[in-house]
Amino acid sequence: MLIPKTTHPNLSPASALRLGLVGLFDAGLIWLIVRLVQDGSYPLAGIFIALGLVVTVSMSLDRFRAWRWLCVGLSLALLFVLYPILYTFYISTTNTGGGHVLTRQQVIDALERVQYVPEGGRKFSWTAFESPAGEYALWLQAEGSAAQWVTVGAVQADVQPGTGSFGPADENGIPLEVEGYRRLERRDVIVLLDRLGQMEFGAPPETIRITGLNAAATTQARYHYDEAQEAILDQSTGTLYRPAGGSFVSEDGEALRPGFFTGVGLDNFNRFFSSAALRGPLAAIITWNFMYAIFSVLFSFALGLLIALLFDNLPGKRIIRTLLIIPYPIPALVSILIWRNLLNPDFGALVKLMQAIFGSAPNFLTDPGWTRFAIILINMWLSYPYFYIVSSGALQAIPTDMLDAAAVDGASLWQKFSRITLPLLLQIVSPLLVASFAFNFNNFNLIYIFNEGNPPIAGTPIPAGHTDILISFVYKLAFTSAQQDYGLASAISIVLFAFVAVITWLQFRYTRVLEDRH
Amino acid sequence: MKRLLFVVVLLSTLVLSSVSAAQSPVLTIWTDDQRLPVITELSAQFTEEFGIEVVVEPMGIQDTKDAMIRGASTGEGPDLFIIPHDNIGALVDSGVVAPIDLGDKAELFLPNSLEAFSYNGELYGVPFAVENDACFRNVDLIPEMPETWAELAEVTRALVDEGKVEYAVALPDLGYNYYPVYTAFGGYIFGRDEAGSYTSEDVGMDSEGMIAGAEWANALIRDGYASENLDWEAAHVLFESGQAPFIITGPWAVDRFKNNEVPYAISACPAAEAGGEPGAPFIGVQGFMVNANSENLLLAQTYLTEFIATDEAQQAIFEGDPRPSAWLAIFEATEDPDMQGFAAAGANGQPMPAIPEMGYVWDAWGNAGLLIAQGDLTPADALAEAAAQIRTQIEEGN
Repeated sequence: MLIPKTTHPNLSPASALRLGLVGLFDAGLIWLIVRLVQDGSYPLAGIFIALGLVVTVSMSLDRFRAWRWLCVGLSLALLFVLYPILYTFYISTTNTGGGHVLTRQQVIDALERVQYVPEGGRKFSWTAFESPAGEYALWLQAEGSAAQWVTVGAVQADVQPGTGSFGPADENGIPLEVEGYRRLERRDVIVLLDRLGQMEFGAPPETIRITGLNAAATTQARYHYDEAQEAILDQSTGTLYRPAGGSFVSEDGEALRPGFFTGVGLDNFNRFFSSAALRGPLAAIITWNFMYAIFSVLFSFALGLLIALLFDNLPGKRIIRTLLIIPYPIPALVSILIWRNLLNPDFGALVKLMQAIFGSAPNFLTDPGWTRFAIILINMWLSYPYFYIVSSGALQAIPTDMLDAAAVDGASLWQKFSRITLPLLLQIVSPLLVASFAFNFNNFNLIYIFNEGNPPIAGTPIPAGHTDILISFVYKLAFTSAQQDYGLASAISIVLFAFVAVITWLQFRYTRVLEDRH
Repeated sequence: MKRLLFVVVLLSTLVLSSVSAAQSPVLTIWTDDQRLPVITELSAQFTEEFGIEVVVEPMGIQDTKDAMIRGASTGEGPDLFIIPHDNIGALVDSGVVAPIDLGDKAELFLPNSLEAFSYNGELYGVPFAVENDACFRNVDLIPEMPETWAELAEVTRALVDEGKVEYAVALPDLGYNYYPVYTAFGGYIFGRDEAGSYTSEDVGMDSEGMIAGAEWANALIRDGYASENLDWEAAHVLFESGQAPFIITGPWAVDRFKNNEVPYAISACPAAEAGGEPGAPFIGVQGFMVNANSENLLLAQTYLTEFIATDEAQQAIFEGDPRPSAWLAIFEATEDPDMQGFAAAGANGQPMPAIPEMGYVWDAWGNAGLLIAQGDLTPADALAEAAAQIRTQIEEGN
């Protein structure tokens, strides 16, 4: 295939602008990539490099002109859809979570930074001096012993102010001046504090470190990482800690803090499926989860459709329509909280009203059945306007001649609805129903804001509520009740993802069957 | 192509050169909104005094823990941050906080505030405020706080019978805000090891004291003297509208009670029997911690030991957001009756356990409370179940 090669003797202004923008984009991207590499986020950096290459090549070479607009969508999909999914999967195979957020190397580094004062070690108060060459020295004093003069690598014991190179002392016995050095005042020292803190003064083996603004001590590194044994030695006690399950653990089973994150294979999935504690309430929760999603969609759709049919040809349609969709623009959070207060057993307005009329009212927050009823009711309130809008639109698209023909044939209202309107309508809205089901299956807000999954189920091995759905149960499990266990939470969300994916796929298959019939 | 390459190279060099950092120490502090003004002001003083720039950034107090833990691996985060003490276990386990040595200044703090900020025998922060629940009564209805829980029940039941109130007590929950009742009867959540630290090996949820404590509320609820519906908001509404004469709650409720002009008084809680130890609430302590991964570790520690652990700074923080101070001199000097009430109630208070296993307690405990209140389970059964749930999770979590 021969493509005539276009040549550009002169760059047109538009191309120049485009290339300029690509240059800017690349510069920004390179900056981002450098930052990511510095932070050690290599996978994300990799994705960005790929993205940058695709964009640059397709935008600057005419041969790839066709890719220009496609590449934007592709990169966004790569970045915001594919990468999070892969990353979640990756996290699910690790023990990432509270106590296990650092890499093994970071933990080793952190532990090797820990200093301790060995037995027989000494503590001092210190005063810093600086030479014109920028070298630092400390005048150390300890109670009951003579002062010391230390620099990095050298120590001069038993020094006296007013002798040798040391000038006369101030009221604390510290020389006011030292030959070749300038005494640093508190204000200067504070700025330098952490730089001084990095230095090891005195001569090995006894090195002195600054441990605070007024304190210094003969310290040693407490932990040492032994490459050969791949273990950490606590030099103060002689205990050896070996890596096991994301921590360095001694033979007595004592684990060093912090732990590190490490791959654990499919352990998190195993935990989810095999833990007796988790399995206990799972069946009840899954059953309710399906009921919740199915009834929510079914009833909201039915109500929305009913209203759409009733108000299809009514005077004042516009005003009614406006009033009817009011629940839609109100934030769900607000609506749910209002409903929660309306149904409060002690002072809820609706409850009071029911008590006045019927003499008693069900307890909508503590009775499992009524709580579920209330949740479905609220979900209807929240989502019927959506189905009302969708159905009214879809109803306009149904050709009236069919209905007229049916009327001529003597069909009843119900026959017209069930044989003509509904099937045609379903064809249009079924993808929306499927999407709505998938959404409601994981509709965490309503469950959690209304009653936090309560009332509790009695007799479960771990806390669970009658109105908990999988996602709220998982949320409580992974985030509120335990240490944040990102690994387990990722594993469970992948299981949930699989769940919803399969259900959605089945539904789409089913709806396609519906379509094929016509 | 060449032109393009040139542009790319030029721009990236520019950008790269701006990445390299400047080298004079700058302290960054995360603070909650309430204390943002006072910390900003204090930090300006610090800058003036020591010539070190301090950047104060607002950060929701609930978000700080997560942000610190997530930032640990990349070395991000501030040098110092303000946080409630009960996050300490999770933070230490994640290697995010550095220990601190207060030296002689430790004597200047409320002892149980330092106890709260200690973990495994090491001090991990400098506290400035303590918070605890106390017993609130409607003084028009209960002029004097009865000495025992039994007496209190008697007095308040009589008020219901006389038709003066709807409920004898308002119960926000049967967990955190009910703790003084449990402890009065000898209940506890986690036992302590020899060193005095909480240990997850001793779960006290189903101990006799806990059950006896729960029975007190159970009797009131079953007889219709307290609501079956445990709801934090509803309980406060009951108290502030005068429909219930007694509630156990914390400093956060004071403003709303004032706004509703309910005549309240705050005091220590009753005991199980006359002359017994009054019920002890949980104590929450707020203070500064130092980021273990900070490049300015010594400077940050110095900021706390030399600058925050002083009369002036503690006074400024106290005035900026008046709650009982962790600084002994201010704590003892207060003449505000509300604060004296909280101090009296907190005198024997217990630091909320900061061990990570405490995370397993809340849901189980809350559920047990709901099941008791609804009458689904007896206190003994409900608490035994909660204890089993906590033990299961401790076991499986390890």
